[in-house]
Amino acid sequence: MSVALFLSVFLIAACGLIYELIAGTLASYLLGDSVFQFSTIIGCYLFAMGIGSYLSRFLRRGLVARFVSTELMVGLVGGFSSSLLFLAFAYTDAFRLVLYVVVILVGTLVGLEIPLLMRILKERFQFRELVSHVLTFDYLGALGASLLFPILLVPKLGLVRSALLFGILNAGVALWSTYLFRGQLGGGYGLRVGCLLVLGVLGGGMVFADRISSAADNSLYADEVIFSRDTRYQRIVLTKWKDDLRLFLSSHLQFSSRDEYRYHEALVHPGLAALPGARRVLVVGGGDGLAVREILKYPAVESVTLVDLDPEMTQLFSRHPVLSALNQHSLTAPRVHVINADAFRWLDSNADRFDFIVADFPDPTSYSLGKLFTTTFYRLAAKHLSSGGLLVVQSTSPLFARQSYWCIVETVKQAGLRTYPYHVYVPSFGEWGFVIGSLGPYEPPSQLPGGLRFLSARNVGEMFVFPVDMQPVEAEPNRLNNQILVRYYEQEWKDIAR
Amino acid sequence: MLGLARKTDRAVAGRFVHDSFPMGHRLRDRSPFAAPKRQVKIPIVIVGGGMAGLNAAWHLDKRGFRDFVLLEMEPEAGGNSRWGENEISRFPWAAHYVPVPAKGESLARELFEELGLFRDGKWDDRALCFAPQERLFIYGRWQEGIEPENATPQEIAQYRRFNDKMAEFRATGEFTIPMERGAKPSPLDGMSMSDWLERERFDSATLRWYVNYACRDDYGVLAKNTSAWAGIQYFASREPEEKGPLTWPEGNGWIARRLLEKLGRYVRTGSVVYRVRRDGARLHVLTEQAEYIAEAVIFAAPTFLAPYLIEGAPRADGFQYSPWLTANLTLDRMPREKGLDLAWDNVIYDSPTLGYVNATHMSLATHVERTVWTFYWSLAEHSPEDARRLLLSKDWNYWKEAILSDLERAHPDIRQCVARIDIMRLGHAMARPAPGFMFSENRERWTKPLGRIFFANSDLSGFSIFEEAQYRGVTAAKEALGVVGRS
Ligand SMILES: Cc1cc2nc3c(=O)[nH]c(=O)nc-3n(C[C@H](O)[C@H](O)[C@H](O)COP(=O)(O)OP(=O)(O)OC[C@H]3O[C@@H](n4cnc5c(N)ncnc54)[C@H](O)[C@@H]3O)c2cc1C
Repeated sequence: MSVALFLSVFLIAACGLIYELIAGTLASYLLGDSVFQFSTIIGCYLFAMGIGSYLSRFLRRGLVARFVSTELMVGLVGGFSSSLLFLAFAYTDAFRLVLYVVVILVGTLVGLEIPLLMRILKERFQFRELVSHVLTFDYLGALGASLLFPILLVPKLGLVRSALLFGILNAGVALWSTYLFRGQLGGGYGLRVGCLLVLGVLGGGMVFADRISSAADNSLYADEVIFSRDTRYQRIVLTKWKDDLRLFLSSHLQFSSRDEYRYHEALVHPGLAALPGARRVLVVGGGDGLAVREILKYPAVESVTLVDLDPEMTQLFSRHPVLSALNQHSLTAPRVHVINADAFRWLDSNADRFDFIVADFPDPTSYSLGKLFTTTFYRLAAKHLSSGGLLVVQSTSPLFARQSYWCIVETVKQAGLRTYPYHVYVPSFGEWGFVIGSLGPYEPPSQLPGGLRFLSARNVGEMFVFPVDMQPVEAEPNRLNNQILVRYYEQEWKDIAR
Repeated sequence: MLGLARKTDRAVAGRFVHDSFPMGHRLRDRSPFAAPKRQVKIPIVIVGGGMAGLNAAWHLDKRGFRDFVLLEMEPEAGGNSRWGENEISRFPWAAHYVPVPAKGESLARELFEELGLFRDGKWDDRALCFAPQERLFIYGRWQEGIEPENATPQEIAQYRRFNDKMAEFRATGEFTIPMERGAKPSPLDGMSMSDWLERERFDSATLRWYVNYACRDDYGVLAKNTSAWAGIQYFASREPEEKGPLTWPEGNGWIARRLLEKLGRYVRTGSVVYRVRRDGARLHVLTEQAEYIAEAVIFAAPTFLAPYLIEGAPRADGFQYSPWLTANLTLDRMPREKGLDLAWDNVIYDSPTLGYVNATHMSLATHVERTVWTFYWSLAEHSPEDARRLLLSKDWNYWKEAILSDLERAHPDIRQCVARIDIMRLGHAMARPAPGFMFSENRERWTKPLGRIFFANSDLSGFSIFEEAQYRGVTAAKEALGVVGRS
């Protein structure tokens, strides 16, 4: 009997701590600055527990019933806390408000639990023993939770399911209490039904967890999904594991924060550093602002125009604290103009000229995206180049999709440009390819801007050398009326997957 | 849970548009028209502003001849190459593509070069149909291309034999575009396309479907009612071409539009020609607005109208026309689909209709949320008379339902996507190359002038496509220039 009683103290304590950890982790994922998030959340949480303890004095009669219903409420609010927070982040501007309301609510309820329990148990134990036991198990529960959370829960279950699981534990304790204290409770039929209902709702949540925070993504992506949104144009998913933040657009990896600098330095500097006179730069695609971040390292560049289809994408990377820190607030820099438009049509409808054009589109996985890798597109882009200007194109992997890569090179060539193919190793992507297209001759730069993490004047040239297994292969140019690239690409990635 | 909420079909707006039969009936019945208000002396008058009439005008203008008018009865010129436009896209009302003209098709090439479609030895990549071009809904899913896949080895052998046959016909040099260049009287004209398939022991069901589809699509006639010569012409007159046809959001309306930009000043729309009177060497062309006194007339309106309009003209026996229905559907959202992307031309296997063409296919945009589909239906199962009666007797609601039910087979959620369906009924849409017609005296006599009246409609070729309309129009223009002393 007494073991059972103290076991429930252990569980209650564990649940309480888990909710607190979840709130802290989620806030650090989504808002960044984990020191700040954890401090304020722990502070609010402990303070709210104080409020709960204080309020417990106003509960006089029917203590067991009160305890059971408090448990159920903790289970519900805590269990759904991470789902609620994900949804609030994805669909409202009031994430912080929801965050602190949830933390204070759970804290208050958890604060009620232990005083109530001690009062319920006070008849059965000596006060000295009671305090000692309850607090011992309380702290033990906290220890258990704090070890379980990083080692097992986050990596295996994810935040949404962990919260739901502990909600179920809370409700389980409630149900169990109706038996443990059946003497004091008397009847309690209604309460049991309540317990079963809450268990049912939480269990349902577990089953539908996929839908709640698109944890469907969780099975698809190795890491925790911290943001997921279906915009008009695509599905934006952010995942995080330790310090690695990854962006997926419609299930295709766009970058990993651990090594994106390699990709973006390689995308921008071989071209731009070779154009000391560059004043006006255009980025098409690349709504993450990471290419723009690299471009802003050139003080001589007077204006950067970014054309990306999806306003939600550029807004996310302008406003989100972690993401805008990653692109060093490039999208809100005064030299940068963000335009949300269809790149092909935008180029077709104006006559602006640029010294450097970056085409950073997702890989040609569909006929629609394939249009942005056609002779027609590059010919149009070439018309927007000032004399001596350069175009650089993200061109998929010359190793995994060798024919696709050389098809893009051939396409740029057919559009009337000289081509300078090069590649780089990005751990999260593998070997990755680019091609510079130019109207005149091009030489890799001998000087680079300061502060680069990967490129140096010495290794720029090496990128233009292709090892044997990435050497050119025969490929037709990609035209609007054949879209041969989409076929190459599909075939090559299918072969890889096999 | 949201999935359980009852989906209600939305109300679909729309109406019949561009109905031309009331005027057709007035002309046929020789109903009275108001007398012309004034007289205009002008050397050449073109009657009819379809592709044939516009190309006649193009030729005259190109030769530096400016003393002519083109009279078109509709508020807009273009005829079967008319187009429409809404807030989403331009779209065709009928003709929607022209295959890339082969080297020998000098007229079409000349015009297309002038319109900027052919430069430095290359076709404009924005006008060559983008990929994916065609798809077919068969066995419950979409496949790429409209020749049915999943064929048995025997069927594949038949396809191959069929293609070889067509290559042989091509090699004879008798199947050309325009047809007049190579056509020689042939017993093939005496039998139907399905009889020919039978005779050659082509019995694959999918091959027969495909050939029947081609006849319905190009001529508005079932294979069993199509002259085998004409059926073969469709396959043998062109090299199999991977480049894909030339097409635009507004279909051949693009060609009409560009021609009208050049030639608009000659065009008088809303001018119904109700009489052409011969008076010695003079011709009087009567409309309610004016009486034109001309030295030559290019008659580019459908030839079956000639006996009703031209004094002393013989009957136009043998000229038959397929009735068609086309519809433009405005889609507020795209149907949900798995697998294959929407193509330009989308065909449903074993449907009586011809499927639909997507107007935004030729847009450069990578993301399209709303679109317009042009739906084609040659009412080939019935005799032309019965089909015409059906076309006129049923209301808009009937056709709307018929169209949606047809599409529903491939797009279960189509009713949640369509906001508007405008329907065009064409009683005499295109000439029918019935067996025996291609090399008949009835057809050939109209290719020759009636005094100084030169016939030009595409139907003179026995079937109606852009190249025939252009060829007939330009040929008539040359001859007319001859008689007004300006050849
Ligand atoms: C549904 C459909 C789809 C088609 N698709 C294609 C295609 O994809 N590709 C292709 O090449 N061809 C297509 N065609 C064939 C099309 O008919 C030809 O391409 C071409 O447009 C025919 O031109 P036309 O000038 O010979 O005849 P029409 O277009 O019929 O022109 C005749 C003109 O004369 C006018 N007219 C008639 N009577 C009078 C009068 N009394 N007074 C003044 N004006 C008068 C009419 O209003 C009309 O404008 C299609 C036809 C149809 C019906």
